[in-house]
Amino acid sequence: MANSLAPSPSIGLRSVPLTIWRAIALPLLLLVAWQLWAMGLPADTRAPSPAKVLAGFVRLTLAGDLPLALIQSIGRVVAGFLIALVLGLSLGLAMGRIRWVRDGLEPIVESFRPIAPMAILPIAILFLGTGTPAALSIVAYAAFFPLLLNVMHGVSRVDPKLVLAARTMGVPPLRTFTHVILPAAMPSVLLGSRLAMGSAWTAIIAAELAVGAKAGGGTSGGIGQMMFVFYAYSIDLNGIVVCMIVVGVVALLIDRAFRGAERILVRGREAT
Amino acid sequence: MGLSGFDHHDRAGSGALDAAAALRRQAPQRLRAALGSRPVAAVRSFVVVLGVWWGLSLWNANPIQLPAPPAVFAALANVASDGELLENAMISTGRLALSLVIAVAMAVPLGFWMGMSRRAHAYIDPVVEMLRPISGIAWIPLALFIFGVGDTLPVFIMTYVAFFPLLLNTIAGVRGVSRRLVQAAETMGVSRAAIVRRVIMPAALPSIVVGFRLAFAGAWAAIVAAELIGAPSGLGFAIEWYRQLLMTPKIFAYIMAIGFVGYVCDQLLQGLQRRLTPWTDRSRG
Repeated sequence: MANSLAPSPSIGLRSVPLTIWRAIALPLLLLVAWQLWAMGLPADTRAPSPAKVLAGFVRLTLAGDLPLALIQSIGRVVAGFLIALVLGLSLGLAMGRIRWVRDGLEPIVESFRPIAPMAILPIAILFLGTGTPAALSIVAYAAFFPLLLNVMHGVSRVDPKLVLAARTMGVPPLRTFTHVILPAAMPSVLLGSRLAMGSAWTAIIAAELAVGAKAGGGTSGGIGQMMFVFYAYSIDLNGIVVCMIVVGVVALLIDRAFRGAERILVRGREAT
Repeated sequence: MGLSGFDHHDRAGSGALDAAAALRRQAPQRLRAALGSRPVAAVRSFVVVLGVWWGLSLWNANPIQLPAPPAVFAALANVASDGELLENAMISTGRLALSLVIAVAMAVPLGFWMGMSRRAHAYIDPVVEMLRPISGIAWIPLALFIFGVGDTLPVFIMTYVAFFPLLLNTIAGVRGVSRRLVQAAETMGVSRAAIVRRVIMPAALPSIVVGFRLAFAGAWAAIVAAELIGAPSGLGFAIEWYRQLLMTPKIFAYIMAIGFVGYVCDQLLQGLQRRLTPWTDRSRG
């Protein structure tokens, strides 16, 4: 911004290719440098290179390993998220609307919030073993707090006049809830969902990775587990990089999907 | 859940009467006021949690899965008195501090550059946006290869996690500086370095501090994962160590310690935020 005195390099039609060129210049340069660096190494090196990563991606996709692991991880995230959504919505509504519930539960919520999901994992393993239920509980725990706090915040900020107006007009409580409170709290619910889904996706990778690392591996599946197998057994760094890129792309898609939903569902309300 | 309950308490809270509220008013006013105050409510909640926990542990009757509260507090006193807890907590917070310092040293100058130069932003931002969705956790296997199990791995992971919120908030802060301020300073012949230091820096500071708190929160969540998998010491390692030994009371003790240290650090940062940028609304962070 302060650099406003610098002349803009081009105007008109040429500016569009230029922005695209600028956007891909540095990533392209880094990729080429990485490839050249890898080509300079001895032929039997384990170091990853862009070409080998691409080949690995094609191989893992065609073999069905990658899609399967991805489906498993995403399935766990969705299931864990839904558990958190049910708990977060109901508790968040209660805490947002009822004083004594909020006063009673807030200290407990606040004392659990700084405990990272991964710290709960050893306990989850003790109770549930190293399979899907333990992973699910970690995901649900990670997704619960952003949901709860945002729902509570959204609900407690609903204009009391709206609720009173609805009651004055004889609207039954359930209808007040579905037609007044929920729509008004919707932006917060969606924001909480997006943040929750982001933490859930991070948590599932961590949980699968740690279960693989500490429980001997091979039992729980998922993309985090796949990364651990590449690390500990087949020593396939290209496979690890493939998984990292896939994890990033999924995170991006989740984020974009929720942002899109926010735009569509909230835009109509902002305009009025 | 009783939806009418919402209405009832909403109204009771705003002073209106109904049958249930009238009934409860028969309890002595002062006692009710005392029981309803927030610290008392907090104590009451913790007593309930402890009671439920104790009950569940008796019902579960498996001290390896769910130890009773006294066993956990004994374990907490045990690890606290022989210095082991303090040592692990110091190791973890030391790593945290180191990685936050590295992240600030890298992200804040880069953020100033990207915030002030459109061209730098256009070139560098795509790389940032490519790396950002890859969570720090996903770097752990590759980092294990590069750095091995040790001090470097958690510091690397936490620096990576802390880098992005700091960078993005610095860019946003620098970009949010009013152009008129900068132009006024330019008109008066203030040097470029002085503009950065005296005009842009103070104006961007609130946003940077918010970025720092987000960076801390992310790094604190990542440290447990990083230490659990790839470090020979620290709070995260201790949890996993005692899980393998099936010494559950000590796992619980360390989980409490993680929560406590995280809470204290967050409070310290909030204090820092108030001191550094007292003019901003602290609820923003």
